[in-house]
Amino acid sequence: MYKFLFLVTVLVSSSFGLFAQTCCSGGIPISNSIGLPIENQGSWQFSLSYDYNNLNTLNSGSDRLDDDSRLRITQSLLFNTGYTITDNLSVELLLTYVNQKREISQFGNVNTDETYGIGDGVLLFKYNINQLFSSNSTLRIGAGPKIPIGATDLTNDAGILLNADLQPGSGAWDLIMWSSYLHSFSFRPSGTFSLTALYRYTGTNNKYFNNTTTYTFGNEFQGFINYTDQFVLFKTLINPGLSLKYRWAGKDEIGESTLESTGGKWVTIVPSLDVRISKKLLFISKAEIPVYNYVEGTQLTPTFRFTVGLFLTLSKKKNELLNLNKQI
Amino acid sequence: MKYVNAVLCLILFTSLACSGDTNDIQNDIPDAGGAQPVEESIWLIDKRLVVDGGPGKDGIPALTNPETISAESIAYLQDQDLVIGITNGTNQIAVPHKILDWHEIINMDNFGTTLAIVYCPLTGTGIGWNTTINGQTTTFGVSGLLYKNNIIPYDRATDSNWSQLELQCVNGELTGTIPETTVFPELTWGLWKKLFPDSRVVSTNTGFSRQYSIYPYGDYKSNNDRFIYPIPPLTNNIPSKERVYTIYSGDKAKVYRFQNFENGKIIKDAFDGKDYILIGNSEFIVSFELNETNKELDFSYEFNNTEVIMKDEQNNVWSIFGKAVSGPKKGQFLKTSHTAMMGYYFSVESFYPDAEFYN
Repeated sequence: MYKFLFLVTVLVSSSFGLFAQTCCSGGIPISNSIGLPIENQGSWQFSLSYDYNNLNTLNSGSDRLDDDSRLRITQSLLFNTGYTITDNLSVELLLTYVNQKREISQFGNVNTDETYGIGDGVLLFKYNINQLFSSNSTLRIGAGPKIPIGATDLTNDAGILLNADLQPGSGAWDLIMWSSYLHSFSFRPSGTFSLTALYRYTGTNNKYFNNTTTYTFGNEFQGFINYTDQFVLFKTLINPGLSLKYRWAGKDEIGESTLESTGGKWVTIVPSLDVRISKKLLFISKAEIPVYNYVEGTQLTPTFRFTVGLFLTLSKKKNELLNLNKQI
Repeated sequence: MKYVNAVLCLILFTSLACSGDTNDIQNDIPDAGGAQPVEESIWLIDKRLVVDGGPGKDGIPALTNPETISAESIAYLQDQDLVIGITNGTNQIAVPHKILDWHEIINMDNFGTTLAIVYCPLTGTGIGWNTTINGQTTTFGVSGLLYKNNIIPYDRATDSNWSQLELQCVNGELTGTIPETTVFPELTWGLWKKLFPDSRVVSTNTGFSRQYSIYPYGDYKSNNDRFIYPIPPLTNNIPSKERVYTIYSGDKAKVYRFQNFENGKIIKDAFDGKDYILIGNSEFIVSFELNETNKELDFSYEFNNTEVIMKDEQNNVWSIFGKAVSGPKKGQFLKTSHTAMMGYYFSVESFYPDAEFYN
């Protein structure tokens, strides 16, 4: 029983009290992109992926407005590398490069503002607690900082400072707490059920708007319920998966004031398909399909999103190929 | 060695990446008549204090000749909601803040003149600008930029940026141009419909999908500590969001408070070499510029919940729009082409720190 309470405590505590770099949810998918599996001691993992997030749906609360004049597109290149220090302890580093575009099509005109640059990074330390309930279950917990290496002072051609959510970085150190519980089934060893929770407690950019005020993105929680399995198709090992994702983001703050039309709640279904190219190399892909959107005030909300990439594992031991438990 | 390669790849990834920004404005402006590119380098105001407000250029869509409906058929307004009143001399239209909060600018060329009602929800200031500039009629749009929390409209003829509270074009081809202004009364819907029950009102059928019943800025208009961008500490002991009436003249401003008009009052005042008459009570304040002919007249407050607000010694009865509705001067108007606006106090001090106060 105490193990169950411990699991609940870890999953929940990583969800409360403690990131939306995304007025209108258009930010860099940092939180989506961490949580590499813990491999054997001495293993290296590398993941390079491309994420495309299209926001062309204007919502007021949960009501969709009949207005498609605003478009936000965020394209991110995500490089993630992890090293397993011991069989139970690992560390990973996420680096991002981001292109953000805001396009307004109104009155026969198209006005575009666009930024690109290195986004913020994440350093995450993770620990495995094996056989929590049974030999088939594992709990992983992790924590680490989001490192503010992205620019926050980009301007348009006229030299006007662009809005915080168009900047590649947030200008603040954040604390990320992550946990994931995995369970495989004796009747279906290739299948894995998992619960993942992530909380991002955001720091404050104290140099916002030419050092005259502060900016704090809203805290963020993400929760996932996942099932992945493994099949052989055309002599190729594939890993289809399905996740239900819940995301909550608090309102941003500027100075001492909260900003309206920031924050919200989103529920999406995330189908994924990974294809094993070789023993070490995996092609990864996933899409996000909005199911429910509730935004504070009036905001753009994601219309569709997909991620594709490659995942490489360099392990001292031979890959078992079953229950790969890759990142979600 | 393979690990070294991996680290090198990582370094290459980060070193290839550099931050950049672009702004690509593709204007295909219907009424541009040969739009010129904005002169980006010259701003009459401190460019460091100009900020991208978030929605982007035209992200807040200005309206042009919006549909109006009769006052009696209005269901989306509460009595305490504020409206700006405009007239063409004969008919009146109420322009609710509930519409202006979401559109900020309403262009009209079908109501007697070429006019843009420019309203900033963050400073609470609304005024009329003549949209015929240097002989060319245009429309104004919302640039998406803010200067000291105040709207920066742009004109669609030249793409120049204007500052509402600087009261001039601050960037672009028309830099330095002063807009011709028209002063409007601002009052509650409850009072307006008593004064002008037969008037028209801008409807929510604007052609844009918005929830007009929702104020988009939370408790902004009542929270004296809440600002979108920081303001310097206020030097006067006046709540930042107190609605005050201000007459502007060049780089000068004079502030009148509702408390100056308790129980209904007329104030004749001189400011920056001009004579004004201000009429108000706890619900409205309006002003007119007096000329040589009428500045010596004695006016008396005459308000009984009709459009009539004052009388003069020649028995002329004047309406809230400054029209003589009866008496020897019937049909004539007092001058409304000066610059005056109702607005949140902080905006006056932000733009005119040396503003005078009426005592």
